[in-house]
Amino acid sequence: MGRYIVRRLLAAIPVLFGLSVILFAFIHLIPGDPASVILGQHATPELVAQVREQLGLDKPLWQQYLDYMSRLLQGDFGHSIINSRPILDEFMRRFPGTVELTIGAMIFAAGLGIPLGRYAARHVQGFGDGLVTVISLLGISIPIFVLGLSLQYVFAVQLKVLPAAGRLDPRLAIEYHTNFVLIDTLIDGNIPAFFNGLTHLILPAIALGSIPLAIITRITRASVLDVTNEDYVRTARAKGLTEKRVDGRHIMRNAWLPVVTVIGLQVGGLLAGAVITETVFAWNGVGSWTVEAIQNHDYFVIQSTVLFFAVIFLIVNLVVDVGYAFLNPRIRYS
Amino acid sequence: MAPFRFGVLVAVVAIAASACGGATTSSPPASQPAASQPAASQPAAPSTAASPSAAAGTPKNGGTLVYGLPGDMTLADPSLVSDSNSSEVQLNVVQVLVGLKPGTISELVPVLASDLPTVSADGLTWTYKLRTGIKFHDGTDFNADAVVYNYLRQKNAPKTLQDAYNYYFGAVFGFGTGSNLKSITAPDASTVVMTLGTPQSNFLLAQALPQFGIQSPTALKAGDADNPDPSKSPYAQGQGGTGKSMVGTGPFMFKEWVPNDHVTLVKNPTYFDAAGAAHLDSVIFKPFKDKTAELNALQAGDIDIAQSVGPNDVKTVKADASLQVIDRGKSCNLLPLQLNNAVKPFDNPSIRQAIGYAVNKQAYADAFYGGLAEPANNWIPQGTADFKTETLPTYDPQKAKSLIAASGVPADQLNLTFTYPADVTRPYMPDPKGIAEAVATDLEAVGFKVTFKTQPWAQMVPNFQSGKLAMWLSGWTCDWAGPDNFLISAFFYFTSDGKPNPQFSYGPADLKAAFAAGLAATSDAAAATAWGSAQDILARDLPTVPLVNSKVPAAAKADVMGYPGAGNLEEPLYPVWLNR
Repeated sequence: MGRYIVRRLLAAIPVLFGLSVILFAFIHLIPGDPASVILGQHATPELVAQVREQLGLDKPLWQQYLDYMSRLLQGDFGHSIINSRPILDEFMRRFPGTVELTIGAMIFAAGLGIPLGRYAARHVQGFGDGLVTVISLLGISIPIFVLGLSLQYVFAVQLKVLPAAGRLDPRLAIEYHTNFVLIDTLIDGNIPAFFNGLTHLILPAIALGSIPLAIITRITRASVLDVTNEDYVRTARAKGLTEKRVDGRHIMRNAWLPVVTVIGLQVGGLLAGAVITETVFAWNGVGSWTVEAIQNHDYFVIQSTVLFFAVIFLIVNLVVDVGYAFLNPRIRYS
Repeated sequence: MAPFRFGVLVAVVAIAASACGGATTSSPPASQPAASQPAASQPAAPSTAASPSAAAGTPKNGGTLVYGLPGDMTLADPSLVSDSNSSEVQLNVVQVLVGLKPGTISELVPVLASDLPTVSADGLTWTYKLRTGIKFHDGTDFNADAVVYNYLRQKNAPKTLQDAYNYYFGAVFGFGTGSNLKSITAPDASTVVMTLGTPQSNFLLAQALPQFGIQSPTALKAGDADNPDPSKSPYAQGQGGTGKSMVGTGPFMFKEWVPNDHVTLVKNPTYFDAAGAAHLDSVIFKPFKDKTAELNALQAGDIDIAQSVGPNDVKTVKADASLQVIDRGKSCNLLPLQLNNAVKPFDNPSIRQAIGYAVNKQAYADAFYGGLAEPANNWIPQGTADFKTETLPTYDPQKAKSLIAASGVPADQLNLTFTYPADVTRPYMPDPKGIAEAVATDLEAVGFKVTFKTQPWAQMVPNFQSGKLAMWLSGWTCDWAGPDNFLISAFFYFTSDGKPNPQFSYGPADLKAAFAAGLAATSDAAAATAWGSAQDILARDLPTVPLVNSKVPAAAKADVMGYPGAGNLEEPLYPVWLNR
């Protein structure tokens, strides 16, 4: 297993390298450039040319790429062309926000999706199954944008029971240690701020988790149904085991596998893609950073964040594959 | 009915019922533009500065104001930024020698100077007397040497910092030995003398920008503020707190910046002028990329003020008794219908006049701006210095048709290609598609044929700048409310080889002379004459058609008092107080 993991990690290197070349080429194909973005309405052709020269954007592309890669290999991720903030610092500020949001969304999605899926499987073709099917369809069909703004409007504007946006009430000044709001408030023993952070997490977690909820529900339902029809389950029942025993020891233990796989892959997707939720809820995260960078032609930020997403996907896929082998002893990787 | 299907049916009915039951509450703000309504336009309120609720009693001290901005600050050094979000934060912290009266866009008042400066007869030497006894937020003294330091660090900025960062210094003076600021000296601790190469009539107005704010030289040096790479300057990165970045003399002090989350300013307890001291204990600026989310946050009470809301949300704000719309006084922007005079048929003056008579500016102002716009009849807004009333074509489709007939232009040359941005809005253009379609309808009613083209803004700007577009929508929000900022910087500048710029290919010799005379004017009277003449020439030639001046709507909780709304978005927060 160890050798397998090492081989997978080594194989990732040429993939990432190739990706960086393709990325660099594509980014520069987009019409427009960061000098125009920086200058805004002041972007006369003369000034744009001057700023391009001042920022080194007039060098040949291959030279810009080599400069970038040589800095990257020395651990220097560069800085945003648009606002000169170091990319690594910005990342360490934003990534914890994305992680918190992802964890919240997955707790909602899995915490609700797995029981719903099991319920639907046990009442297959019944009334409950119908209800659950509609919930899944809604989860997957309602655009997150619509869902997020609607949740905001109902719970924050009309009912005023939850906050509308942000990770924390800005009036609560806290000390940032790890940039995880929930962890930092606990470290300082600031319990009111901790609960404030939790309430801020609820709506965005529901919005972001709506699609994973739908997927996990359906996968759980399908997986449980699959396993329930296996011979060994019938045998277990025939042996006289209680339904609880059959369910826990025989059905769920085997039905977990595809569900865990899906959860793992969803996490990878959420870490990279919470763009809309972050925008609607003014949540400081990596997804919205990437989209802004694309709109602003912020080349170095785009390179760094997309490469980061690639690394996340590679790691998540590896973890899921290895995890699968642990969960299912019949799987062996050579 | 099979149980499964019954379950589906129940679920669908339940959802439909809850959606219909919600109809009695006001629906969430729509993102589609409202249908055109011929409401009476509202005349611009006279510039009496404050918000409507300002009259309600004695200001109370204390409290925290949470302020929603369209985006985050870029850097924590006011001299290195040129975006309005950074300026809106930083003008509370740094101060200039001579600034704008709050709530106005062109009335100058001394701030760090004790009076308006005196100028020599040739317009080249400006002498300021400074106030004394003022300290920077790090406790060091404000004096003439500090002023000289601040100006010279920008004048002598390294190449990498020049236009990309110190944009405004470059636009006003230029850098290095070629700068029009030939020298700046401090003959004594409270006197500063600036000497120019040639007179500049925008000298005072342009320097009211916070980019010319005076910061503590001690803090600038300690924070490596002049590093050619701002990503390596702790001062610019703003993570050190009070006294380490944005160290000015203002009624507020910088406290904290969590990038993309919030900037916190706190009241300066030792501010030098009791009349200008802040009422609020602190202000927190929070960036919102989504306008609807920002409005929801305002309605929910998460924020106290939203710097800009969409025009379609003005109705929602007015209908909510807990909110108010902020009046921004005079407009400082313009949306013209842009015409490239080198492209047929716009090279024909009668055609341009016909377009001027064809467009119903009042209708556009009423339909697309939430009641906060007026038809524009000049290339500079009314509150701008040296504004002159001109007589431009008014809405008269019959006259337009007869002008087209008299122009001799054949019908097949009346096909116009009209470009508007696909992906952005602008403060002066909240609904590009809607406005373009309204204009096109009016043009087709008099005999033109319009074909639309949309482009991403990032593509459109270099295209029109290089003269590739024939007719398009783009406008200007003022940097300073001076005629040169609109007439030259925005629209009709001449290139460095003296030719009209390719956007409009328009630049008669008399206009060029009027610009030169206006820029070099050494007295208010001379400036008024020269700029008046420039406006007359433009009215004569109608190279483009001014459409609308607008004010970006802002919204706040009803208990936010004293907000000095201004069309140029330079709105210091020291007069603001919370009636709570």
